[in-house]
Amino acid sequence: MTTTTAEARRISVGIGQLAVSRDARDVLVAYGLGSCVGIACFDPEAKVAALAHILLPSSEGKRVDDREPARFADTGIDLLLQRLAEAGAVKRRLIVKVAGGAAVLGAANAEKFKIGVRNAEAITERLKHHGLRVASADLGGTRGRTMELHVATGKTFVRTAASPASEL
Amino acid sequence: MAVDDLIPLLQEVASDGAARAGRGLSGLMGQEIAIHVPNIRVGTKNDACDAVGGEEAVVIGSYLSISGDITGHVMLLFPEPRALECVDLMMGQDPGTTTEPDEMACSAISELGNIVGSAFVNALADQLNLVLHPSPPEVLHDMAIALVESVYAEVLSQGSDVVMMDAVFEDQKGRAAGLLIVAPDPASLGALQRVAA
Repeated sequence: MTTTTAEARRISVGIGQLAVSRDARDVLVAYGLGSCVGIACFDPEAKVAALAHILLPSSEGKRVDDREPARFADTGIDLLLQRLAEAGAVKRRLIVKVAGGAAVLGAANAEKFKIGVRNAEAITERLKHHGLRVASADLGGTRGRTMELHVATGKTFVRTAASPASEL
Repeated sequence: MAVDDLIPLLQEVASDGAARAGRGLSGLMGQEIAIHVPNIRVGTKNDACDAVGGEEAVVIGSYLSISGDITGHVMLLFPEPRALECVDLMMGQDPGTTTEPDEMACSAISELGNIVGSAFVNALADQLNLVLHPSPPEVLHDMAIALVESVYAEVLSQGSDVVMMDAVFEDQKGRAAGLLIVAPDPASLGALQRVAA
């Protein structure tokens, strides 16, 4: 899943996964977020970055699956913050950006499939619970998004199938 | 009966469904379409989209929901250029005539989803002696993984067991022409297990 070029190393953060990096060459990427939400965190002083790819709003009544440690907004965010702290990031310095939570299965199904909306709400709620404010967000709509976080700069970009990358 | 025990049954049903869906696609496109033996997966993997170009590939396709004795999801996805080629073949135009998913193309894609998706659903209904109704298709044009992920999330939100079937269609030139994805809702796995018992 990892491709290496001379300058940048793109690390794909798949469904329910999270990645933490302090390597300035790394670009953490969550490809094709549909109803999923990507959470990008960056500590500009410690130069630690992390990206999580959250699938569902709540772990309540659900089986935990080690293969997807960031599957749920609640346990996923807890783990994300724990990993960031272990890598030397300080919570109060974190810049948090979120994207995703769309309804991509067609306009007629947008009312029926609410996972995207529920994900967006759950994530905001859980971050707030940890005392974290979202610095910028690109949530909802009907388009899938790819989100990438550049570890060197902490810059986060979002693109869709219809629009080129723009900074979040 | 564990979900894993369902896999041989689903393999058989999915093979028949994919064969019928492939015949539907062959008929529409006026050329022989080969169908790979469907994969039955418990859970999903990011490589589910490899057949249509990988993680970030943009696809055109359609989504149908299944209602009746069991409920679930059917999605037919084509890499963008293949979808536009399908439209030209269906409409008897020279390949390359359709360059973007305009209204006419979307209508053809919708019809494609209807015929191919319904063929699969009907195979499922016949084999398992169930009453199933496919919904009208919704045309999709997005990143493949965003679509697959959203179906996965929808199913997983309702329970802990996700069974997804995917089958790859290949055209005469041996290129991946399309990807069919079918996922029953978790509540329907019980009904499938009863049928299988």
